[in-house]
Amino acid sequence: MLKTAGLDTHAANLYNPCLIARDVWFSYDGHTHILKGINLMVERGIMTMILGRSGSGKTTLLRLLKGLLHPQKGSVEVRFSAAGRIPDRIIAYVPQHLGLVRNLTAVENVLIGCLSSIGTIRSILRAFPKTAIEEAQEILRELGLSHKMDEPVSALSGGQRQRVAIARALMLKPEMILADEFVSQLDPVTTREMFVIMHRFTKRGVGFLMTTHETDLVADYADRIVIMKEGVITYEGQQGGLSEPEMIELLG
Amino acid sequence: MNKSKTVKRLTVRRFVILALLILITIGLWHIGLLDVAQWSLAAGRLREFSCGLFPPQLNSLPTLAGAMIETVEIAFLGTMLGFFAALPIAFLASTIFSGTAVAYAVRLMIGAVRTVPSILWGIIFVVAFGLGPAAGTIGVAFYTLGYLGKLYYEVFEGVDAEVLEAVRGVGCSRLQLMLYAVLPESANAILSQLLFMFEYNIRASAIMGFVGAGGIGYYLLGYVQMLQYRNLLTALLLTFVVVMAVDCLSRKLRTAILPANPITS
Ligand SMILES: Nc1ncnc2c1ncn2[C@@H]1O[C@H](COP(=O)(O)OP(=O)(O)OP(=O)(O)O)[C@@H](O)[C@H]1O
Ligand SMILES: [Mg+2]
Repeated sequence: MLKTAGLDTHAANLYNPCLIARDVWFSYDGHTHILKGINLMVERGIMTMILGRSGSGKTTLLRLLKGLLHPQKGSVEVRFSAAGRIPDRIIAYVPQHLGLVRNLTAVENVLIGCLSSIGTIRSILRAFPKTAIEEAQEILRELGLSHKMDEPVSALSGGQRQRVAIARALMLKPEMILADEFVSQLDPVTTREMFVIMHRFTKRGVGFLMTTHETDLVADYADRIVIMKEGVITYEGQQGGLSEPEMIELLG
Repeated sequence: MNKSKTVKRLTVRRFVILALLILITIGLWHIGLLDVAQWSLAAGRLREFSCGLFPPQLNSLPTLAGAMIETVEIAFLGTMLGFFAALPIAFLASTIFSGTAVAYAVRLMIGAVRTVPSILWGIIFVVAFGLGPAAGTIGVAFYTLGYLGKLYYEVFEGVDAEVLEAVRGVGCSRLQLMLYAVLPESANAILSQLLFMFEYNIRASAIMGFVGAGGIGYYLLGYVQMLQYRNLLTALLLTFVVVMAVDCLSRKLRTAILPANPITS
C-alpha cells in the first residue's frame, strides 16, 4: 500500500528536519497554481530525491525552499541547528545549469561562497582572507580538482564544473544543499563519482535535496523519495518502498 | 481568406515603397540636388580641388605629427575617463543593482547625455576650459559615458539569471553581486565595446580641433580655410594612416577576446 504525503505520517520518523514546508501554494502569474499545498520535511544527513515529470514544479519548489520565491499561501521554515546562523548559509542552492561565473577560475567561484563574511572594501580589492583561500583550495582538493583550481570555469568539463558548484555550496558550510537536476547531463561513471562525493558529505551530516526525472537514479542513490505530480506530492517514503513500475505509475 | 491576406500585404508593401520614393524626390528637390547645373558645377570644383592637393606638402609633417599625437591622446584619455565613469553609472542604471525607480532615472540621464554629439560637448568644454586638448578630452569622455553607459547596463541586464540566483543565494551584498557575478560575466562584452568606442573616438577626436578643442582637426580646418590643399593632403593622409592602424589593432584585440565569449559555452 502506498502512503500519501503528509506531515503527520512522517514527522515522527524524522530525527533532524532542516527545512519544513507547510501547505505551500505558489503561482507565478496569480491564477495558475504551480504548487498546490506542498507539505514536506527535509532532513539533514541524507540524500532526498524529488522525482517528477517535466513541468511538475520541482524547480519551483526548490527555489521556494531556498527563499528565492515566496509562497502565496503557507510557509517555509528553516530549522537552525545552532543559534546565530544565517539562513542563506544554512541552505545552499545549486541551480540546474550550476550558475557558475564562467570567466572566474574554479577557486574564485568557490570563494564566492564566503562573500557574505567579508566586508565591502575587501570585496572591492578582491582581498580574501588567507584562511578562506586555503579553505577553498582544500575543498577543491578533496573533490579531486587540485590541478584545475586556477583554470577558468569555461575551460572545465561538465563533471568538473559540477564539482566546482558543489565546492561553492560547501564553502558556505551548509546544512542542506538543494541541487536542481544535478547529474542529468553526466555519463553514468561521472554520475557515480558525484554521488560518492555527496555521500561523503551526507555522512558528515549535510543533507542533500535533489530533483530528477530519472527513476534509476532514485533507485540507486536516494535515501528518501518524494514524488511530485502537477504541483502535488503524491508519494513520500524511504528508498526501496517502491518498485520502478510503481514509481512510473505515480509519476503519471 | 488566406490569399486575400497575402494580396493585402503585397498592396501595402507597394504603397509604402511608392510613398518612400515620393518622399525622397520631394526632399532632393527641396535641398536643390535635382538641379543638373549644380552637379556639373560641383564636379568642376571638385576636379580643381583634387588637382590642388598634389603633391602633398611634407614640410608640415612634424607639426602635424605632434597634432596627431594630441588627437590620439584626446581619444585615449577621453575613452578611459568615460569608461571609468560609465561603469559605476551603468551599475546604477541596472535593475540588478538599483531599484527600478533609480535605474530608470539614471537611464534617462544617460539618454540625455547621449543626445549631445561629441563635437557639441567639445564646444561646451572649450567654453569651460578654454581652447586646447583638455576641452576635447572631457568632451570625448562625456560622449563615451553616454554610449558605454547604455551599452553596459544592457549587457548587465542580459547576464544569465541562474548565475545571479546562484551567487545571490550565498547571501552576498548587491555590490558583491555586481563585482563577482555581473562584471566577470560581462567582461568580454565590456572590453570589446570599449575597444570599439576607442576606434570611434579616434575619429571624433580628429574633428575636435574644428571647434578649437585640440588635435589635428585644427589644421584640417585651417588648411581648408586658407586654401592650402597640399598641406591638407598631408594631414588627411596622416589621419587616414593612424585611424586605420588603430582600427586594425583594436580589431585584432577584439577577435582575440571574442572566442572566449561565455555565450557559447
Ligand atoms: N519564471 C516562470 N514564470 C512563469 N511560469 C513558470 C516560470 N518558471 C516555471 N514556470 C511554470 O511552472 C511550471 C513548473 O515549472 P518547473 O520549472 O518548476 O518544473 P520542473 O518540474 O522543474 O520541470 P523540469 O523537469 O522541466 O525542469 C511549468 O508549467 C512552467 O511553465
Ligand atoms: Mg526544473
